Amino acid sequence: MSTPEIVPSPEAEAFYANAYQRIVRLMIILPFVITPLLWVRFNRHVAFGFIAGCLIAVFNFYWLKRSVSFLADRVTSTGRKQSATGVVMGFLLRYFLIAAGAYGIFKSSAASVYGLFAGLFLPVGAILIEAVYETYGALRRGF
Amino acid sequence: MRKTMMYVFMVMAFMLLAMPVYAQGGTAGGNWGIPIAAGIGMGIASGLCGLGQGRATASAAEAMARNPGARPGIQFVLILGLALIESLALYTLVIIFMKVG
Repeated sequence: MSTPEIVPSPEAEAFYANAYQRIVRLMIILPFVITPLLWVRFNRHVAFGFIAGCLIAVFNFYWLKRSVSFLADRVTSTGRKQSATGVVMGFLLRYFLIAAGAYGIFKSSAASVYGLFAGLFLPVGAILIEAVYETYGALRRGF
Repeated sequence: MRKTMMYVFMVMAFMLLAMPVYAQGGTAGGNWGIPIAAGIGMGIASGLCGLGQGRATASAAEAMARNPGARPGIQFVLILGLALIESLALYTLVIIFMKVG
């Protein structure tokens, strides 16, 4: 008895292939929407802290994606050859830059720390919006 | 001789630990456990997040090695998973910062 082969629909494949691009776009759009609101509702320190947090989060997400792509290239033996040292150094540099940015914010103003923390959750917000969008898309396609 | 020296060092270590006993106590003295709990909590959260990320990465690598054709989907889910696991450690940091700071 053979199991039936599951073939994903091309429409669904295209939908998921674009998901990463949509998350990145959301991570660029969200700070432009939220920063003015924070400036008006709280003050400029919180808004600047939020921008710093967003920059750190975007950089962090980019390096995470690069590291995962490198890992996938190695596992599947595809893609161009990259230096393992470069990727590891980039990974460590990511942590160093995050620590340096956070230290600078901590030292500058206590109020901006809350903005920084809010900014660090930018990828989570973008992923949640993407999840809602994908659920909507799946419901519309009828699963 | 070796045993005597061991006792001497043990007593010295005990005296070093006992030094704060002679210090003047604070007036409140009720919230000394918060920094300790914060440190332990952050350690547990970071450790478990590290374990979770390692497990997710190992599973994804195994899945990609078994089925290279499914790489785009697995890679995308892995990126999302790692980002969300990292955010859990951040949640802990925020809670600790609000309690301690």
